[in-house]
Amino acid sequence: MRRLSVLTVAVIFSTFTLIAYAVRVGSTAPNFTGTDIHGKTHKLSDYRGKYVVLEWTNNGCPYTQKHYESGNMQALQREWTAKDVVWLTILSSAPGKQGYMTGPAESAYLSREHADPTTALLDPAGGIGRQYEAKTTPHMFVIDPSGKLIYEGAIDDHPTTDPADIRISKNYVSEALTEAMSGQPVAIPYTRPYGCSVKYPDID
Amino acid sequence: MRTRLQFALLIFVGVLFAVLQADAATPASAPGPSADSQHLTLELVSPAEAIYPGESFHAGLYFRLESGWHVYWTNAGDSGEPPSAQWTLPAGVTASPIQFPTPRRLPLGPLMDFGYEHEVLFPVPMQVAENFRPAGSTAVIAAKVSWLVCREVCLPGKAEVALTRKVLAAPPSSAEEDASAKVLFTRFAGTMPQPLPATDKATFSSTSKEFTLAVQTGSRESSAEFFPFDQTIIANAAPQPAKPLSSGIALTLTKDDNIQSSPKELHGLVVFPNGKTYEIHAVPGRIPDAPAAAGLTEGGPGTLIKIAGFAFLGGIILNLMPCVFPVLFIKGLALVNSSQHERRQMRLHGWVYTLGIVASFWAVVALLLILRGAGQQLGWGFQFQSPTFIAVMALLLFFLGLSLAGQFEIGLSLTSAGGSLANKGGYAGSFFTGVLAMVVATPCTAPFMGAAIGYALSHSALVSFVVFTALALGLAAPYLLLAYNPRWTKLLPRPGAWMEILKQAVSVPIFGTIIWLVWLFTQLAGTNALLGLLAGFLLLAITGWVLGRWPAKPFSTICAALLVILSVAAPVYAVRNLSSAAMDHVSDSTAKSSWQPFSPALVEQYRMQGRPMLVDFTASWCLSCQVNERVVLDRPDVQQRLKDSGIVLIRADWTRHDESIAQALAALGRSGIPTYVLYDGSVNAQPRLLPEVLTPGIVFSALDSLPKVRQQSAQLVRPSVR
Repeated sequence: MRRLSVLTVAVIFSTFTLIAYAVRVGSTAPNFTGTDIHGKTHKLSDYRGKYVVLEWTNNGCPYTQKHYESGNMQALQREWTAKDVVWLTILSSAPGKQGYMTGPAESAYLSREHADPTTALLDPAGGIGRQYEAKTTPHMFVIDPSGKLIYEGAIDDHPTTDPADIRISKNYVSEALTEAMSGQPVAIPYTRPYGCSVKYPDID
Repeated sequence: MRTRLQFALLIFVGVLFAVLQADAATPASAPGPSADSQHLTLELVSPAEAIYPGESFHAGLYFRLESGWHVYWTNAGDSGEPPSAQWTLPAGVTASPIQFPTPRRLPLGPLMDFGYEHEVLFPVPMQVAENFRPAGSTAVIAAKVSWLVCREVCLPGKAEVALTRKVLAAPPSSAEEDASAKVLFTRFAGTMPQPLPATDKATFSSTSKEFTLAVQTGSRESSAEFFPFDQTIIANAAPQPAKPLSSGIALTLTKDDNIQSSPKELHGLVVFPNGKTYEIHAVPGRIPDAPAAAGLTEGGPGTLIKIAGFAFLGGIILNLMPCVFPVLFIKGLALVNSSQHERRQMRLHGWVYTLGIVASFWAVVALLLILRGAGQQLGWGFQFQSPTFIAVMALLLFFLGLSLAGQFEIGLSLTSAGGSLANKGGYAGSFFTGVLAMVVATPCTAPFMGAAIGYALSHSALVSFVVFTALALGLAAPYLLLAYNPRWTKLLPRPGAWMEILKQAVSVPIFGTIIWLVWLFTQLAGTNALLGLLAGFLLLAITGWVLGRWPAKPFSTICAALLVILSVAAPVYAVRNLSSAAMDHVSDSTAKSSWQPFSPALVEQYRMQGRPMLVDFTASWCLSCQVNERVVLDRPDVQQRLKDSGIVLIRADWTRHDESIAQALAALGRSGIPTYVLYDGSVNAQPRLLPEVLTPGIVFSALDSLPKVRQQSAQLVRPSVR
């Protein structure tokens, strides 16, 4: 009985903890620690003072493929990292699920695709994904130099898998970064992300 | 120069020709009405056989999906996309947007999608202009359909489908219809949302974190689901706790974390358990019957009194259930002890015992309510789904048993263990005997009790407390009565040497209960973890020896305390580290028999196919369930009858906690087992609950009440899932 009540307290406590860390546009983005494809540790707080883009990815997902096979994602990564933006690609696919990659494999994939994020973080336990409530691949977050979340949602306004749509799409990430860098408020700070579900580990 | 120009021209013409040919090649493989794609088959259907001026008709996109795959509702939820169609229609014919039938919640880890499994028909209304002039004798209705089909992974798909229909210059005297398409549309007619009747009302209120949505349908509703049309209004995966209102239902919806402003309306579908679905535009407004007070108004106080009465009766019957029997023995023992005391004191003991039971029931209901509030869909008996809890219970009873058998005197030095408290003299002893009675009673959801708890849990906190209090009083009543009625006390044997014998004899049912708990533990944690529990027993036996050999010595007390801690640590460690997937056993035995293991998708599939089915909600820790199965359901003649009737048998094994089973039970208004549900095979019929105590007669008459099973029609509508 006592054990059960300890468990209950733990459950309730963790629920409150989750609520306390809810990711909300306009609030401080929760800090996290992640390991990249080379085994190096990165903390979000290390990048205070810079814009940070978080990109959830899964290379088996047709929506992700739309942006990589067209070169769109790589172009965005190059464009914004050249402007001193930190671009973190995050893989929250669990081992055995679509999009799960080891460090060397992801490294090889990125160079084959000519992708150019600051680095890619491996999150096979889904910890960062759950913390940010990442729902889809792609799911994009933009954090400003003060650590505030200024955009969350879809990469653009065409929720399809057709690369031909990219040409006519409005890219929300670029818009948010452009507006924020010129001192304006972000006009569209939150959209519904589109894509495949993030392949989190099964809960049981 | 000229030759070069000619050459270029030649190439140009050649290329042009090739392009034209390629172009011409496409229509040569004209699309048919159906297309096979990865994991699904798409068919364009329409009951209308002819197109004529002024006609309104329906076309439909009929998806048949492989098992486990789904396509999406108009709001796909956290991921996914709804299907879409681009139409190529004869001049004068226009297509309305695709209509979406009632979706289902499709949980995916922490995410929630909305969509369809197995098969779905999306109707598309078509309108023919009054000035429609037929060109030729037939016309083609064609669509380029694209969709996303997902299981865990997602695959975008597209196909072209087309139907050829006769065209007429004027409405025909008798409308011809495509019979199979007509059947299909009829079968899916019930799956389309209806507008909310004008007499009904939908309102919502909001706090910073939640919306409360009230839908008044004129009758009390026990559960419902809300599907939002807008994509960023609510947290899709959050549970939607329901509170019945006297004339409808109130749902609590968790807001999307990023919601920017308060919406002017909540636009969505409200789906009731019987499949009835309304499209609502809820406006801000007062929520009728503030949910906290809902308990007193819903169904009137009469219903509440009746339910409380049932709960009281259920509590009394609990005394007779096998798993309370050992405690009844302890209680008898306690009574024998107290018969030496004054009459007044005995009454007080009775009340303290009652208080013990009531207090522990309140503790459990408080815990349940907190957990329910935290979104934990747990049912009664959940304690017995935790192997650690079972191990601790078994150890406690074992320790108590050793003491009763005479190995040592409890209560001399050790006061921490609940079992020893229960055996202690004085009011504390009576109180903890009450606590113990409640704890052991948990898995025996006696008849009445299941319904009462189901009622309580789906209602307000107040109602839950009333029902649980009635239950507790029922459980305490026989003892209290005995304590109060002097004449009955006289019937008790006089104190004497036989008391020691009786005390020792009581240890026998206690050890019997331990056998059951050990068996249960093995079911949950596996044979390897069993080593830990058995080691715990050994350590307790040594503890008992130490306490018996050197009673009331500080050294022995410290030793005993250490040994007790170790004895608990051993099974806890074993559960954490040695626990094996004992669930395999359970599903193995299910696979061998004619029972299919439960999944919500399977039930839905058979329901859609119109197959009658019996769902048995059971668990190895539920003795009543085991008895029903051994004595009734698994009896050869009953099995034969079930087989002959062609009914689908599904067993939902809740030995380990399973969210989908907890939800299925909640949808039926139940939170405990045994629960037996009969579906009579018609798509829209309400499932019927059978009594908790089964007899072959009950099963036979339930089978007789089924409409005649027509295997042939079941075959006809079965989706061809490969």
